[in-house]
Amino acid sequence: MLSKYPQMKKWLYSMLILVFLILETPFILMANAAEPFVLGLPFFLFWNLLWWLIGTILFFIAYLTDWGSKSVKAKSKSK
Amino acid sequence: MTVGVLIIAAFMIIPLVVGFFAASKSTKTSEDFFIQGRGMGAVAVFFTVAATWWSSFAFLGSNATFYTSGPVYLTALAWNLLFGFMYYWVGKRVWYLGKRFNYITPSDLLGDFYNNEKLRMVVAAILLIFTIPYLQIQLTGGAYLIEVASGGVIPFWFAALIFYFIIVIYVWVGGIRAVAWTDIIYGALLFFGMLFAGIYISQYLGGPTGLFKSLLENSPEHLTLPGPLGTSGYGQWFSLFIVTAIGAFMGPQIWLRMYAVKSGKLFNLMPFLLGFAAIAYMGSVLTGFSGVLLEPDVANADQILPIMLTKYAPFALASLILAAGAAAAMSTANSQIHAISTIVTLDIYQRYANPNASQDKIVKVGRISLVVFSLIAYVMALTVPGVLVTIGIAALAGTAQLIVPTIGAISWRRSHPTAAMWGLIGGVATVLLITFIPAFSAPLGFHAGVWGLLVNSILFILISLKLKRTDEKVVKRFDEARFDYNQEYHPELIDDSIETRKSI
Repeated sequence: MLSKYPQMKKWLYSMLILVFLILETPFILMANAAEPFVLGLPFFLFWNLLWWLIGTILFFIAYLTDWGSKSVKAKSKSK
Repeated sequence: MTVGVLIIAAFMIIPLVVGFFAASKSTKTSEDFFIQGRGMGAVAVFFTVAATWWSSFAFLGSNATFYTSGPVYLTALAWNLLFGFMYYWVGKRVWYLGKRFNYITPSDLLGDFYNNEKLRMVVAAILLIFTIPYLQIQLTGGAYLIEVASGGVIPFWFAALIFYFIIVIYVWVGGIRAVAWTDIIYGALLFFGMLFAGIYISQYLGGPTGLFKSLLENSPEHLTLPGPLGTSGYGQWFSLFIVTAIGAFMGPQIWLRMYAVKSGKLFNLMPFLLGFAAIAYMGSVLTGFSGVLLEPDVANADQILPIMLTKYAPFALASLILAAGAAAAMSTANSQIHAISTIVTLDIYQRYANPNASQDKIVKVGRISLVVFSLIAYVMALTVPGVLVTIGIAALAGTAQLIVPTIGAISWRRSHPTAAMWGLIGGVATVLLITFIPAFSAPLGFHAGVWGLLVNSILFILISLKLKRTDEKVVKRFDEARFDYNQEYHPELIDDSIETRKSI
């Protein structure tokens, strides 16, 4: 069944799941350190911001590709 | 001080003007008063959802939590992403069903899909009971800010009173349109206020990097979990993420903002906008952490931001930012009051007391319940003490339980009314037990809301698998709606759906 999903959709959803896994499973504790400082930020803060940014960019890509369901674009234009 | 009072006055008068202007645009139907005739455009939707979702909890609670408990509130970055994702995935489906079957309240959807009158009432009751404490903290938060911004000239009880008086007036005249329009102003103020306050205050410690460096020397435990008190570890990290995002998302005020949207396209963009807005939390990081170094002895942590501002920023600037904080409270409170009055009017009054009520009568009852519920929240704000975040989370844990039957209704044809009912009862009972009986307090460090959701989901799935729905007609109607939804928005799924349909 999964094979019916467009590549883009699969990629988007896998990446989003990855972001949530990194930020919200106990995996986050591996980044639980004040040092080293990256870009002037404590490591834990930097790590959270980094994955938040990746998530936000993914949402933007999702918007551009209609959440991976490309064909919608053609359809709604024809309306 | 006079400047402060003037800024607060302006802040109070502007929404009234906007409210009356919005009222001039309205039509006299209940659908217009409650969900703006399903015609809300992109800008209004984004700001009203964001400003409603970001409450005093975000504005004061976030600073307070960074100040007392270290970095656990950073989990907000992820919960904003989750909230955004749900607004797309759940919200768009709810919107679609709402448009198709003409729903206005959350109980309309759940009551219709599960085809069960008792469930309908339980849903309305959960929404009312758990929204009121959350509303109460908005009032408390907003009144704190006004009290401090006026330099104590306006006492807490009076601040809270003015607050509610103004909300009631503009919601009364303009309905959800007035709420959404004022939220545009509030949302912008809130976003920049939060960010700017942090950047400004951290200048006293040599900017963000200087601040973090000196925090590392003086109080390094503020930079890692479980924080200086040792209580905010992974359990709390995960609990906040789940309970805050889902609880706020299931609040009736957000739910109405799914129905009100004009175009389905907008849901695709919202996760990005809502996710991006989370950058404002960096302001709270800076303010809260600066507080640790500059003002280590503040007794009520919820007041850390107002105290820092009045001490370290020029008075006019401080008042402006505090007004932004009051905006955070106001923009959530106005939507909640409006949503509560919607539920009372449509789910209780129209459904049970007077099914043949005219449009005029419905709007009138909506307005009266506005006043009554605001009054209850006002009395609670004066009499029930507590820290914003704690009360907020407890209330959110209750509304969060609705996510289980909701996802069931939009995605699983086997979802059974008995399962939804027992799931909700089990979930809410778990939340109440763990919250109010000290012996059960937060097993394994996870909040009552997380356990509630777990019990709720297990009951829901098991009972749904065990029972079979007999009301084929309703199930079929929703199957068709899902099929049409996919055809319109996810054509790649259609082949599957056809196969599923054949197998029905």
